[in-house]
Amino acid sequence: MKSSLVAQAVILAALALLPAAGEAIYFRDKISWRSAIAPSEMVTVEQAREFGSTAIWVDARPDEDFAKDHVRGAILLNEDRWNELLPQFLAAWAPGKKTVVYCSSLSCNASREVARRLRKEAQLSDVFVLEGGWEAWLKKK
Amino acid sequence: MKTPIFAFILSLIMCLSARAQLKWEQTSVELHPAPTDKQAIGHFKYENTGKTPVHFKSVHASCGCTTAQSQKEEVPPGEKGEITATFNIGDRTGTQVKTVTVETDEATNQKTVLTLKAEIPQQLEITPNFVFWKQGDKPDTKTINVKVGKDFSVKHLKVTSSTPDFEAKVEEAGKGEFKIDVKPQDTSKVVASMLTIQPEDSQKVFYATARVTNAPQVQ
Repeated sequence: MKSSLVAQAVILAALALLPAAGEAIYFRDKISWRSAIAPSEMVTVEQAREFGSTAIWVDARPDEDFAKDHVRGAILLNEDRWNELLPQFLAAWAPGKKTVVYCSSLSCNASREVARRLRKEAQLSDVFVLEGGWEAWLKKK
Repeated sequence: MKTPIFAFILSLIMCLSARAQLKWEQTSVELHPAPTDKQAIGHFKYENTGKTPVHFKSVHASCGCTTAQSQKEEVPPGEKGEITATFNIGDRTGTQVKTVTVETDEATNQKTVLTLKAEIPQQLEITPNFVFWKQGDKPDTKTINVKVGKDFSVKHLKVTSSTPDFEAKVEEAGKGEFKIDVKPQDTSKVVASMLTIQPEDSQKVFYATARVTNAPQVQ
């Protein structure tokens, strides 16, 4: 009886694997909507706070969200108006500063994209993405 | 042993055949907006091939830059419609992938993820778009590389500095590439300049920033 149950479980698991394998093959070339990021480029709210005055906070959310509320001293830099906003950020940046970029929540991608462009296009180092974004900041405020 | 497995598979088949079903013509759309386009719009068409009405519970885009709308809240059996996803391009470049999650009251397949992929053409790739010198540094020349996008042709670039504190010279590097040599007049004082980069015969303007910054503070 016991071995029969185990055998059934194995067969069901194998059946479940079939569509899973099919999906993995079908979606192998699909691009993720989230930008890849190294774990070393992510920081928690606590880690970011430890940066103290060396941190520059960058708000990658849309203008309306920034206008409602934002991390004190944060600079608005989103991709809607990247060309217009970037010079303002660069004017505030200085060597030795650590840039912490955030967007609305854990699932948003804007902070990853802004961080990627700062690294690639402006060739800045020490650019981090805040884990959990604005939501995480509010919880630990 | 065979009976429970057979019953399981049979019930699965029956469930699948009896459901109210929103059948999507495509759940993925690839768009190629023109360089001057402000928006990219994707149309996701569907048909209710089931026997009961389907109601949309929510239509939610993955980012603030995309809005999505359904034409109606209820889709009677046999009826067709579409979800329109509008992606505001802003200053984004390259490959952009945005998703729209559609939630319905169907017994199965309650959530469908629609994917909008847009290839935003980039006329000029400027790297780096920021050059800086620390106060007191030797005022050496720093180079900004400009690469013309594959679908564009640029023969000449015009570069101007917003202040006389920096000198910018353009040099053709061949194969659709240019080099802009930037040099500060001196690095004794903190100064900044906006470099305006404009391809000949183009209205579009690109920017880079040159700065002499404060020396980093010792912690």
